[in-house]
Amino acid sequence: MTKTEADRASPVTTRVSARSASAPASGSRGVLRRVNASAAGMFLLPNIVMIAVFTLLPLVFAFVISFQNLDSLGEWTWVGFGNYVKLVTDPVFWQSMTNTGIFTLFTVPVGMILGLGIAVLLNGVLPGRTLFRSIIFLPLVVSGVATGVLGAWMFDQSNGFINRILGSVGIGPTAWQSDGFWAMASIILVTLWQRVGFDMLIYLAGLQGVDPSVQEAATVDGATGWQRFRLVTFPLLGPSTFFLLIMNMIYSFQVFDTVWAMTRGGPGFSTTTVVSYAYRTSFDEHGPQLLGYGAAVGVAIYLITLAITAIQWRFSSSRDQTD
Amino acid sequence: MDNLNLTRRGLLAGSIGAASLLALAACAPTASPAASSGGVAGSKSKIGAVKGTLTFAFWGGSDGETAGFAYAKKKFEAANPGATITLKILPYDGFFQGIDRGITSGTAPDIFRVDYTTIGKYSAKGVLLDVSPYFSAAESAAFLPALWEAVKYKGIAYGVPHQTDTTAIVFNKAAFATAGITSVPDKLSDAWSWDEFSKVATKLRKTLPDSKYPFAYDWTAAGAYRWSSFLYQAGGSLFTADLKKAAIPSAAATKAMDFTKSFFDKKWVPANNTIKTTIYSDNFFLNQTVPMTFIGDFLIPELADPKDGYKGGDWGTTFMPRDKSAASDLGGNAIVARKDTKNPELAAAFLKFLVSEDSMKYFCEQAIELPTLKSLANSKLDYVSRPDAMKIFTEQAATISTTVVKESTVASFATINTVLQDQLELAFHGQSSSATISAIAGGITSALAS
Repeated sequence: MTKTEADRASPVTTRVSARSASAPASGSRGVLRRVNASAAGMFLLPNIVMIAVFTLLPLVFAFVISFQNLDSLGEWTWVGFGNYVKLVTDPVFWQSMTNTGIFTLFTVPVGMILGLGIAVLLNGVLPGRTLFRSIIFLPLVVSGVATGVLGAWMFDQSNGFINRILGSVGIGPTAWQSDGFWAMASIILVTLWQRVGFDMLIYLAGLQGVDPSVQEAATVDGATGWQRFRLVTFPLLGPSTFFLLIMNMIYSFQVFDTVWAMTRGGPGFSTTTVVSYAYRTSFDEHGPQLLGYGAAVGVAIYLITLAITAIQWRFSSSRDQTD
Repeated sequence: MDNLNLTRRGLLAGSIGAASLLALAACAPTASPAASSGGVAGSKSKIGAVKGTLTFAFWGGSDGETAGFAYAKKKFEAANPGATITLKILPYDGFFQGIDRGITSGTAPDIFRVDYTTIGKYSAKGVLLDVSPYFSAAESAAFLPALWEAVKYKGIAYGVPHQTDTTAIVFNKAAFATAGITSVPDKLSDAWSWDEFSKVATKLRKTLPDSKYPFAYDWTAAGAYRWSSFLYQAGGSLFTADLKKAAIPSAAATKAMDFTKSFFDKKWVPANNTIKTTIYSDNFFLNQTVPMTFIGDFLIPELADPKDGYKGGDWGTTFMPRDKSAASDLGGNAIVARKDTKNPELAAAFLKFLVSEDSMKYFCEQAIELPTLKSLANSKLDYVSRPDAMKIFTEQAATISTTVVKESTVASFATINTVLQDQLELAFHGQSSSATISAIAGGITSALAS
């Protein structure tokens, strides 16, 4: 046997020897592994039970109910795909989809741009930046309903704060509650006020993860401030941007509380979003309480959210590879 | 990457699993309430001594209402040693969702409060106690006939009419004087005609700045059905006499729709005094956007409250306008018991006690609401606040016709009211009267057939 052959053979021999030598200890490790596995299982069990009971089971029931005519007192009949047929032929559903799309289109990009701008400002050496960060983040911890009620007061077209401010600078009263365009605008503004703090926070975390040496290298190479931001900083914020894009899209698609508290979906159906339509159809105590049809709308929301999530995974996985 | 791939597979597997579980979950039994089986009317009218414990749930509409129910509980328990009524005061929002969930799970309160426009839903599903056996013919006849009818479904009484309320007009006296409106009707027979009411609104419009409006109407949200008062005043109705079909389109419906749409065109009401809004007619009056408003009498305590009430000066009350006839809406609530309550005798005894003359009188006086017993309706109650206003509302309540009651208590009323909400909202934002009436008629036909 040459030296090379001996070297090649020795690890195997060593491993076999080691296995032989430690045979009694292997049994202990097996027991330990089983104990560890049991402990892990016990720790996981509450979560698994919670997810099964509070997430998966309701999801399954929502699918089931969407094939029924179910009323609030529990009486039901099977209707097959009847609710889905009604859904695709329901003009109010499609209007609510359009409204949700418009709402998403204006809240997601604008909120992210504002959040990024504020994050860049507050990432620098600014006196009282911690205070400013807290102030901007604060609306996010207020409940959506409270925000909506506050929004309804502020945008009250007869006696609201906003119209009074506009009036003081010579701008006539705006029909925030009786004109569909302005009603949607008021909801978008309130949503942005609430959500921009979240965008700022995520971008701030992203900015603090950007390596200063990369910025310095760009400066040495003669890049201007805007070029450094556009060509170096912003690309490095890619994961934050993807995260915010998807989270905001899902949030916007599921918006309900702010809309309900501010406009009840009106005037007409001009601010009725998909979720507010599902709520009104199913749970309005003085309404028809069509739980089956509401579940069908819910399933549509679920599938769209699922599609958004799938897109996120596709893009975020390629982003992981790039990084 | 691996983790993501695995999760995607997991998601796919989960989706398939969820789909396969549909069939399993579909087998989940859901009880369909059985039809009511009552007894001979009046056969158990002498209930005798009762014992046990029951729960009575209601929403705390005002301090006066809560005081009224607490008074009845105290008196009832004193009169029936061994009987306990546990009061459960709940918020109005979510009240009926809680009741419905309780009924399906068997945990609903034994006795609960329900408005007349919702009682039909429960009666038709057979979940309420048939109280007919507990009321003799004389006891039934003691109620105002229209309101005893309001708690009936297919001829059987499923509750007791506890109180009623209706809409009338509240106005600011100074604003009327400024507009040159020197007198208002103080007798029902002198109520303004639509033309006279229009002249009043026109006068107010001329004296008010652009940011203020002559009046507001109480048709917001679930109050949409109050639009029907104009239909009834014009001589029309929503349904045919047998309650099986829509009675619109009709000339009366077109007239009522044109008239109410004109409120917005002529800027008589704020542009946001529509159906889907968060501001109600009393809010417009309280914040002095309007000097006149249509409100229910249950809101009188709110206006009269010295601390948070109306701050615009002295206010008075007058009647709804009339056209071919006078009409107003059916408001108010019944008290019902669950059919499967463990102690129907005790439940029935408490329901009877709640509508006894003494309990009802005290309740109405405290809550500023209208009684349902003939004896009280024809006597003077000592309302704790603004008895002058209640005089008007009491007279106005006489315009709640049998037609109004029958149409407001059909089992599918909630669905019809939703149709009214959607279509009136569109009408007040420009949809034509004919398209609106046609859509309402379609909705009514569909709801009555279901």
